[in-house]
Formats: sequence, structure tokens, C-alpha cells
Amino acid sequence: MISLGCDIGSLFAKAVILDGDQLLAGRVLRTTGNIADEINGLVRAVIQEAGLKRDRVACLVGTGNGADLVPGADGVEDVVSCVGAASGYYLPEIQLCIDVGGQSTTALLLNPEGEVADFMRNDKCAAGSGRFLEVMSEKLKIGLAEIDRTVARSQNHIEISNQCGVFAESEVITHLNNGEPVPDIIAGVCASVARMVTAQGRRFGTAEHYTLTGGVAKIQTVARIIQEKLGGTFHPFPSDPQLAAAIGAALLGQSD
Amino acid sequence: MLFAGIDIGSLTAEAVVLSDGKILGSEIMSVLPHPLDSAQEVLGRLCSKQGIQWRDIQYTVSTGYGREKLQAEGLAQENISEISCHGLGAWTLCPQVRTVIDIGGQDAKVIKIGAAGELENFVMNDKCAAGTGHFLEVMSRTLGVSLEELGPLSLGSRKPVEMSNRCTIYVETEVIHFLQRGVSKKDVAAGINRAMAERVLALARRVNPEREVMLTGGVAKNVAVKNELERMLNVKVVHAPIDPQVIGAFGAALFARRKAGAG
Repeated sequence: MISLGCDIGSLFAKAVILDGDQLLAGRVLRTTGNIADEINGLVRAVIQEAGLKRDRVACLVGTGNGADLVPGADGVEDVVSCVGAASGYYLPEIQLCIDVGGQSTTALLLNPEGEVADFMRNDKCAAGSGRFLEVMSEKLKIGLAEIDRTVARSQNHIEISNQCGVFAESEVITHLNNGEPVPDIIAGVCASVARMVTAQGRRFGTAEHYTLTGGVAKIQTVARIIQEKLGGTFHPFPSDPQLAAAIGAALLGQSD
Repeated sequence: MLFAGIDIGSLTAEAVVLSDGKILGSEIMSVLPHPLDSAQEVLGRLCSKQGIQWRDIQYTVSTGYGREKLQAEGLAQENISEISCHGLGAWTLCPQVRTVIDIGGQDAKVIKIGAAGELENFVMNDKCAAGTGHFLEVMSRTLGVSLEELGPLSLGSRKPVEMSNRCTIYVETEVIHFLQRGVSKKDVAAGINRAMAERVLALARRVNPEREVMLTGGVAKNVAVKNELERMLNVKVVHAPIDPQVIGAFGAALFARRKAGAG
């Protein structure tokens, strides 16, 4: 059975096509203004990428805070259920999934059946979120995709002492004005994000086996620091971690 | 005899000079990168405006950011925390006031004072920009109006927007979305001022504010935030008879007068 999952987050829209549990296609789009048109285009593009016709898609499931905007959706699923479904299905050995999205960080506790037993979410404060990383990298004039390459040139990372995104932004500007190298500053920003994500990940105590999902999990520098801090065994999500919720939506569509 | 108070904040620096217990003059300026330079400049400007010499000032107290350094460098004889200075300044202006809400550029404090103007208790937020002047600064920039306009603009609103976020970064995105949807600036401004007041309310509730409250610091000049706080806290916000932004420096000058044994 072929299903389409579409996850409309606060910063990015994601769409995937699954054939059974096989990922046929996946796309990520930074949403800007005209979100309804953008989602339409995204859904069309992912179907095309999979080399299919629209009528081959048996089921379309939306998730994320813009799930209602997904055109022609057969159903809507909660984003925690979707992330839990995807990580629990592909990584049955894990007990914890930390999902770091644009405007939220969620720790999901999974039971041995791979179901979500409990979760804790921070969506009140931008510290440790994708938006935090985005704001800081904009100030440093580097794209999100360039962060890891830039950090590779860092000699020693600069400590960002403010947790608050707005105060941290002022701190970043001060460091820039003081002539500190951009790689050292962005390294400090990554460490700050990792610190917040790790704190959220520890909300259920320690977990022996875990994974990271969401757009921030793609930033290797952040993911590496989280792994160092958390200990235990890290299990990488088997495809693009930013697609996890969309994949989960598509999986849930097949089981209904 | 002349006494001076210097208050260096995160965004602005203020100075007040007292003569015979009365305010001779006050000065406000944007801070310079170094607090010592800010202190020298703000008091220097005040002296030349009033036609007095620095050496005529008998005693100076510094407060705010870098207050210890100011004393160490000889720009002040003594340094006292801004919490005590705001408390004494507000109490001297209005002796019935027992609660002072001081909202500065990067922090907010709710200060409880006793019958003699002494510090009894305080709570502070300097961790989160929501509920500080910085929040209003970011929002006025996003809205495309000046900080001074933000309060008056929102007074005409009948339908303030409701912010679903608290975090400054998230509210900024929300403001952009409201404007994109064509919501009027005054309704967005009213929502911003209300969100600001809600954060201060959450802080103030931790110390049980008394019936008569004085607002100090730059944000006190925003009439909409003042009105919202009055309504939400169910208190009377006493109007400060001087610029609320110089009350910290005024309190420091009062301490200078006391330290010199003149009051």
C-alpha cells in the first residue's frame, strides 16, 4: 500500500511517500508566506519524485501544527504519535526519542512495543529549538546547511551564557563586534542548543538506547554534543531525521 | 550641597543631581560600550547643562550595571544595588507606595519596601526577554513603529490580538503573521502590550503586590502597559512625579545625600 505523509511544522513542511515501510520519496520545504500554495506544490512534487500518479496514493495523512492545511488529507494525526510511530517502528530497540523541531523540543518515552508511553514537550521557550539555531546563524550570515562545515574551522568554542534566544542574540552580536571568529561563535551556539536538548532528553531519567529526530538532528555538531552528554547508545534514524513525523504519518495511514 | 546618583542600565544611562534635597537636574542617554565612559558622559552632560563643576558634587553613588567598577575607578564614592535605589527613590516621591515594579531594558524587578523606604523583598527576571523592555523593543521594530509610539498606538484598539506564545522569538513570528493577514497595527500593538503586562503580572504575583504600586524604568512610560497592569493586578499605579526612567539614579543620589550625613 502506498501512503503519503505530510508534516507541516512551524518552519519547514515535509512530505514523504511510503510503499509499505519503504521510503519512495521525501521532500523538505522552508515555508514562507503563502503556505496553502506551498503545501500543494510540495505534495505534487513528492508524488512526482516517487514516479507515481496521484491516484496510486491510497492514503494521505497530515500532521504538525499546520496539518489542517494539507489538501485532500484522509486523516490528521498528532505529531507526537507520528514521531513515536516512525522511531518505534524502525528502531524497536530504543526507549527514548528526542525530537527537535523548529519551535519545540519533545522527549518521547517509548515502551517495548514501540508505542509512546509518555512525552514531555517544551514549546514555550525558543532556547534549544531550530528557530534558535536559525536566528543565530542568520546573525552570523551562514546558512543552516553550512553550520557543520563552519564549526570544523573552529579553534575553540565560545561559551554562550544566556539561555534566552533574544539575550543570546545580543551576546552573539557582541562577540562578532569584538572580532571573535564566526566558527568559534557558531560552535558555542551549537553547544547551547545541545545543552537544552540534553536537559529535555533527561526529563525521563536516563535511557540506554535513544534516537534523535527533527531538523536539528541533521546538524552533526549538535547531535554529536548531545551524544557525548547523554551517554548510552545512540541509534541514528534510518532516513532523514527531519522526515520522521511525515514518515510516521504515512505509516499510521497504512495501519488504519 | 550637591549630591549625585548615576544609574547605568543595559540600554540607557541616567544621572540625577540633588541640591538641598531637591532635584537640580537629570540626564538620560544611550549607553556607550563601556560603563565608565557612560558614567562620565552622562554626569558630564548634566553638569554642563546645570552650569556646575564635577568637583562641586560632594558625594556620588553609582548603581546598575558596572556600579562596583565606577566606585573602584573613583567616579563614585559608594555603590548601591539598583533594587535599593529604586525602592528609596519611589518611596521618597510617594511615601504611600510599598511595591515598585521596575522594568528595564533587559530585566524586570518587583520590589517590596517598608514604611521607611527600606528594601523588604524582591523578585527578578533577568533570564527571559519576555516581560522586559527588550521584548517591546523587538516588537516595535517588527511592527515598524518607534518604542515611544507603541503605547499610544494601542490605546485606540478595540480588538487586541491574542498572542499564543510567550517567548519573544516566537511572538515576533506571530506578529509578522498578524500583519501579513492584514490585522491593524493598533490591534497588534495592543496585543503586544498586553502580552508584556502578562509576563510582568506573573512575576509580580510571586510577592503579593500592595494596593499602591509605582512603575519605574523605561517601560513605565508605555501608557498601555501601565493600564493593563493596573487592570490585571487590580492595583492603583501611582504616577511618578518625575521621569520614571531616572528614579534609580534619583534613589542613588538620595543615598549619596544620606551617606554624606546630609539627610
